[in-house]
Amino acid sequence: MQDNPENTTHFGFKTVEENKKAELVADVFHSVAAKYDIMNDVLSMGIHRIWKRFTIDCSGVRQGQKVLDLAGGTGDLTAKFSRIVGSKGEVVLADINDSMLKVGRGKLRDMGIEGNVSYVQANAEELPFPDNHFDLITIAFGLRNVTDKDKALASIYRVLKPGGRLLVLEFSKPIYTPVQKFYDFYSFNILPKLGKLIANDSESYQYLAESIRMHPNQDLLKEMMNNVGFEGTEYFNLSAGIVALHRGYKY
Amino acid sequence: MPLQQLLCGLLETGVNQLHQLDSSAVKKRKQLDGTIIGASLKELNIPLYFVISEQQIDILTNFEGDPDCYIRVSFSALNKLQDNHQLTTLIKTGELEVEGDIQLVQQFAELLTNMDIDWEEHLSHKVGDVIAHKFCYHAKKLHQGTLKQLKKVEKQSALYITEEIKLAPSGLEVAYFSEQVKMLASETDNLIHKLDKHLNANELAGK
Repeated sequence: MQDNPENTTHFGFKTVEENKKAELVADVFHSVAAKYDIMNDVLSMGIHRIWKRFTIDCSGVRQGQKVLDLAGGTGDLTAKFSRIVGSKGEVVLADINDSMLKVGRGKLRDMGIEGNVSYVQANAEELPFPDNHFDLITIAFGLRNVTDKDKALASIYRVLKPGGRLLVLEFSKPIYTPVQKFYDFYSFNILPKLGKLIANDSESYQYLAESIRMHPNQDLLKEMMNNVGFEGTEYFNLSAGIVALHRGYKY
Repeated sequence: MPLQQLLCGLLETGVNQLHQLDSSAVKKRKQLDGTIIGASLKELNIPLYFVISEQQIDILTNFEGDPDCYIRVSFSALNKLQDNHQLTTLIKTGELEVEGDIQLVQQFAELLTNMDIDWEEHLSHKVGDVIAHKFCYHAKKLHQGTLKQLKKVEKQSALYITEEIKLAPSGLEVAYFSEQVKMLASETDNLIHKLDKHLNANELAGK
């Protein structure tokens, strides 16, 4: 993406060397993994559950299919997918961060979800799966943190079966100015303080707010998906564009 | 539409919370493990898909595969779904339409409506045995009392309408009236019969 010649990339509003970003992101998530679910509920006021529900309704997933939940974190989507695809299907929960993966695995096992779920620590830019393997790939609130987004999208495209689809759930740009104003105030003034209060970690949540601003907007992301080969790409604005769900097909 | 997702989420949470309290729910869900049942109310026509697994019930508003069974039912027939004997009647009257395995319908209805929850037991963990018992005892009494009162009010207002203000006729009056109507009908039939006979006779005589 917006790489300048010296091989740097953005980490929130800071500019860092490209090969350092993954490490910095990893630190953020190592630090928030334990309280990730609680923080999600508090910071989004529970609305993230509705966004995820909408994602599942758009997935068209059926019994017996293979699903990859990329950057799946603590496994909210994986849990649902695992129940929908049933015993003949397969769900892979992949995350680059082993702390998140461990929390996710612990949570899913406690819920009694086993058998059709496997856990893989993987980098979205170089997915360790064969070509044309998955019916559905979701990446919810993860693409933002990937260093090279084009490479990640191309890698996703490669492992997706023809006829399969990709769902990208990610923060985006609010479509109304008043919402934008309120949202900016909330994310730069309130969010880090809540982060400090609950998870005792304001930097991570400062990074969250900044990284959201640096993420491509709805149309740009759609363009990026089209560039790597996705077809029929469309997006749905949720909560006035604070979050957008992009959907693309591989034919 | 996010509103649909919101309602769906609330419904799902509600059902699963109730199931947590019901000791027999796990067994019932196990029987239906892996089945997907689509259902919609005839009045609303919003399809809901129930994904039943051992762990819980998931409710989706959109499902692109083939559900094991699809039910369209009218609101008034919801209560009667549990009863195995009434299913065929409901289908005949058009209140229930089923595509797929009909046996699933009854199991599914039982799963959702026939929850065996011992409220007193669950309450006793929170507030202690004595209070829980007292509370449930009085709640039951209150419930019975209200039902009794309702029946009384119903009876009294019926009497008031038929006897005091004579707005509607009483049962006996209705019966008497319909008897009279019936008699009138048979007399009219007789008369027509007679007239026919006479007319026919005249026609024959005229020829």
